[in-house]
Amino acid sequence: MASLKRSFESDPFAQNISSKVYVRSTKSGKVQKIVREVYLRQDIPCSSKLCNACLKIAPRDAANRPISFVLSEKPAGTSVFTQGHYIVPDTNAFLSAMDLFEQSSAFYDVIVLQVVLEEVRARSLPLYNRLVSLTKSEDKRFYVFFNEFRLETYVTREENESVNDRNDRAVRKAVKWYNEHLSKTSKKAPAVVMLSNDRDNLRKAKEDDIPAYSLADYVSQLKDGEQLLDMIPELEERDALIEKKPGQFLYPEHYTLSKMNTGVKNGLLHQGIFNVSPYNYLEGSIRVPAFPKALLILGRENINRAVDGDLVVVEVLPKDQWKQPSTQVIEEEAVTMNENPTEEGSDLISEKERKVLQEEAKRTLAKTTEGHALPTAKVVGVIKRNWRQYVGHIDQSSVSSSAAQGRKQDSVFVIPMDKKIPKIRLRTRQVAELLGKRILVTIDAWDRTSRHPTGHFVRSLGELETKAAETEALLLEYDVQYRPFPKTVLDCLPKEGHDWKVPASMDDPGWRDRQDLRDLLICSIDPIGCQDIDDALHARALPNGNFEVGVHIADVSHFVKPNNAMDTEASIRGTTVYLVDKRIDMLPMLLGTDLCSLKPYVERYAFSVIWEMNSNADIVGSRFTKSVIKSREAFSYEQAQLRIDDASQQDELTNSIRTLLELSKKLKQKRLDAGALSLSSPEIKVHMESETSDPIDVKTKEHLPTMSLVEEFMLLANTSVAAKIYEAFPQTAILRRHAAPPKTNFDELANQLRVKKGLDLSVESSRALADSLDLCVDPKEPFFNTLIRIMATRCMMSAEYFCSGTQSYPEFRHYGLASEIYTHFTSPIRRYADLVAHRQLAAAIEYEAVHPAVRSRGRLEAVCKNINVRHRNAQLAGRASIAYYVGQALRGKATEEDGFVMKIFSNGFVVLVPKFGIESLIRLRDLAEPEPAATYDAETYTLTTSGSREVKVELFQKVRVKVTDQKDETTGKRGVKMELVSTY
Amino acid sequence: MPLDTSAYSLALLRVDGRRWNELRRIHAQIRTQAAADGSSYLEMGHTKVMCVVNGPSEPGPRRGATSGGGSGGGQSKNAEVAVNIVIAGFSSVDRKRRGRGDKHILELQSTISQALAASLHTHLFPHSTINISLHVLSQDGSLLAALINAATLACVDAGIPMTDYVAACTAGSTSTYAANDEGADPLLDMNHQEEQELPGLTVATLGDSDRVAVLVCESRVQVSRLEGMLAVGVDGCKQVREILDRVVREKGIKMIQEGTVERGVGLNDMELD
Repeated sequence: MASLKRSFESDPFAQNISSKVYVRSTKSGKVQKIVREVYLRQDIPCSSKLCNACLKIAPRDAANRPISFVLSEKPAGTSVFTQGHYIVPDTNAFLSAMDLFEQSSAFYDVIVLQVVLEEVRARSLPLYNRLVSLTKSEDKRFYVFFNEFRLETYVTREENESVNDRNDRAVRKAVKWYNEHLSKTSKKAPAVVMLSNDRDNLRKAKEDDIPAYSLADYVSQLKDGEQLLDMIPELEERDALIEKKPGQFLYPEHYTLSKMNTGVKNGLLHQGIFNVSPYNYLEGSIRVPAFPKALLILGRENINRAVDGDLVVVEVLPKDQWKQPSTQVIEEEAVTMNENPTEEGSDLISEKERKVLQEEAKRTLAKTTEGHALPTAKVVGVIKRNWRQYVGHIDQSSVSSSAAQGRKQDSVFVIPMDKKIPKIRLRTRQVAELLGKRILVTIDAWDRTSRHPTGHFVRSLGELETKAAETEALLLEYDVQYRPFPKTVLDCLPKEGHDWKVPASMDDPGWRDRQDLRDLLICSIDPIGCQDIDDALHARALPNGNFEVGVHIADVSHFVKPNNAMDTEASIRGTTVYLVDKRIDMLPMLLGTDLCSLKPYVERYAFSVIWEMNSNADIVGSRFTKSVIKSREAFSYEQAQLRIDDASQQDELTNSIRTLLELSKKLKQKRLDAGALSLSSPEIKVHMESETSDPIDVKTKEHLPTMSLVEEFMLLANTSVAAKIYEAFPQTAILRRHAAPPKTNFDELANQLRVKKGLDLSVESSRALADSLDLCVDPKEPFFNTLIRIMATRCMMSAEYFCSGTQSYPEFRHYGLASEIYTHFTSPIRRYADLVAHRQLAAAIEYEAVHPAVRSRGRLEAVCKNINVRHRNAQLAGRASIAYYVGQALRGKATEEDGFVMKIFSNGFVVLVPKFGIESLIRLRDLAEPEPAATYDAETYTLTTSGSREVKVELFQKVRVKVTDQKDETTGKRGVKMELVSTY
Repeated sequence: MPLDTSAYSLALLRVDGRRWNELRRIHAQIRTQAAADGSSYLEMGHTKVMCVVNGPSEPGPRRGATSGGGSGGGQSKNAEVAVNIVIAGFSSVDRKRRGRGDKHILELQSTISQALAASLHTHLFPHSTINISLHVLSQDGSLLAALINAATLACVDAGIPMTDYVAACTAGSTSTYAANDEGADPLLDMNHQEEQELPGLTVATLGDSDRVAVLVCESRVQVSRLEGMLAVGVDGCKQVREILDRVVREKGIKMIQEGTVERGVGLNDMELD
């Protein structure tokens, strides 16, 4: 009988085969054992340009091009390795100090081992992506050495050896091999140095005579090492925590991952994203599917080291511990002002905090109004941290006087700009330089023993309150990609540059399937100074009495082809971000403001939506076509309005705008009849001095009929296109939806209106809401209606992009616009979603073949997810920029204005000043000195003070406030400060 | 977490350390079951299959009971090739039960049956059936290719006259369909992870000619990349044929040395070591 048993010896290949066995557990809790083959080889080059032996075995791709070598022949030296050196960092080095490796002053010629790359990927995908992009950058010279596939550097895991130890050993072995290998090439070969922050690993390397340093030791050998030192976290001591006595722990321990998973599966624990209240840093909330309302999380101990945005697991507390949300404003800085960053207090809750909490508790106990308490929970573990880099500044009061001069490493607190993020403890040697600067920091860890998270310094953005630093801070804080476009992107632009023209010959491929609309009287209407003109319009009477109306959108998809570098960059940026004095483009300037922009008097490619409408503005027919147009004029809203109003202007162009205006009014009425909401948010404009671009004045935006003219036709075009692409691609059309807000969102507002004004807010449908909002008027106060609209807007869900296959048709509805289906089509220069819609429409009208990127559902979902985030961040960044400039514009001025009370706490209230579109908190202690006593009646939303100043403040009340500017010491932002002058 | 196929561009190495044009280790044995007419065992990397061939045999007296013959056998002029595949529950990471009527298995069976019927001299055995049983013990990509190769070896062992080896392997491409990368390298012999993440096809050729006997592509890929993939695949089939041929020759030499069979007439001048 022949036997199936075989020996490897007979196989010449066999000694070079190994297998990797590992165990993984799936989401459903199954444990799988995975076995993978590994082929060990000897032709993986060292990639040093010094090495001739490896050059011969350089691998070639299918086109027979050899891979180019990365590591330079003359690497930089340090004070110890004068002959030059290559660096081999281990996993921890990358995980803890990726910023360091991205520096341009040092860290060139780095060898990234495969084992390290794999570990980084397992631990953090964002860091992995940053590392991969480093390896692709040409000037940084990072080389990925596949040590696990090279026979000489492969190590097998020994018995009783942990995976970590095995990987560390693999790193050491690779470093050793590199040193031996390079020493054969020349006498003065560069040294290969291992960098690690793991003491154990460093010690073993020393035993084996392998050159190895901790990051700190290494950096101090560099020329400009001093500045880099701060970016290095502490040496890691494994098991260091265990040595500490349990009494020193300030926070309860987090559950293990498996315990959390089981708990969540059983329904005992709940998982969700942790959000911190913007008014009270000790109060958070978390939305979980099992409860209709968000769960409340109160107090430092219950929050248990969760940071805003983390994915956490919570346990609901017993009912007798349920609380109601705080009616107090608690700001971290005010309470923990005098904490000492170097010494950790032994109590978790400081005296002051305890006082604040006690007052809370007293109040809740005093009137345990049934039903007001919300389900309250505590955090038992963090599944995924959502830490990013934070912008902040050093808290002056946390700096000891000696530290401000010396070079000694010192602990200070950094106060992040985002009030929801706790103070970060930072160890730095350059306190003196960093004081008064905007700085970027990251959080490294948050131990049970430490009240605050610890982090390290990344870089300085510049002096506080300088325009450059504040703008960059804002962009970083909202994760806006603001670096100049890389060369690969610019290479995708047309070679002709600004000289590009629509080809004169109609035989040119650019003209294929394009309609010639150059003889139409098309014009564009935009805000003053608009350079990226996305849209243009025309209207003309048809012989049959109907009208032909066309919306022409810049044909960006002609210039941005799917999947090239420019497209990828645009899909990452997602949207153009408008700041008061700056625009961060989604597409390079050449396209955005010239080639795509539908500038007047020149021919441009466009994508046109053309309807035939009767005089009632009912659509008789519609069609979509790529076209060539020539805009006759670019109006501003004001210019267009003047022309319409001037009866002496009877030229064809003006009359066609009048036609458009008439039709748009009918369209708007139809929309409102269908239940579209007219919502409101305070919109203001900052006027700048033209030369210095210093803000000089703030005005609320005016609303002109021409604005709604453009808006109506854009809405109509978007709706038409949405229907068309959905018809063509039922699974993959990119659409925009606005979900109906849950009724509970309006509970608070409806109650407030009923109590204070005796008004009813019905929220059954958008129509009912629109009607009841129309009824919310105060005859004495015209602004009251707008105020309610602003507050109602904040109760809404936000609109989002989605891929049609992910939702059922009824879910497509756009609540605010009362439209069944909607998408974004009209601004492809500044929004990526529109660009995708353009490609889909082009495919739907069979202008071009469907590109795989616009029909792969997984990809579209990823795109939607990204642009939803980007869109939101862009809005927030724009608002923050306005807030900054309003502060600057008011600098040194003091004016008295009318304001309205929007929100009331037991120790303060929020006032909105419509003139500036700003809102600000007035605390009791701002009212008078000493702080007046106050009673707050939650039932009637009334705050009555007594003692040093007697006022009665009610919700929705009109008040007179003095507006001044003030530098907020805690956030370092200049903002407005309001003082109550009088109540009416 | 191990790297995925997107890491290829970093150093032109695949997830298991191979270059783009390298086969996995192929290990094969023939005559593993003495009781069968022909048998083989074949490994391509961690894909392990076993094959047993019975026949060609004429249907027994109890017609109707031998359902394996199906419609063919009896009247036709050519022998029928009946393929039966059993995929063991333990062969993949997830224990998955496949029913008898599993569409995927049915398709594999008919593909193999047609490929072999074209190269075996079935006209020599009218009214009879060649039963090929394939057992999948372990799966790690390129399953169809491994099954075809094992079936070829077992048919050789069974002594069924055939034109040439039907040698098969898979070919893929280093970037996904959606990436639409024109410069993607073709890949030879895909493992499971690569099959999951990348486009690929299975190709079988007749001997070392360029005559394609089987071509199956179940993933989406740009036409421009297909030609490169096919060329690499055909090239791989030639390498596989060499390996299969060596296995057969080595076994033959061994059998002569052991005296299991007589030295044939034409073999006199052949060296036996």
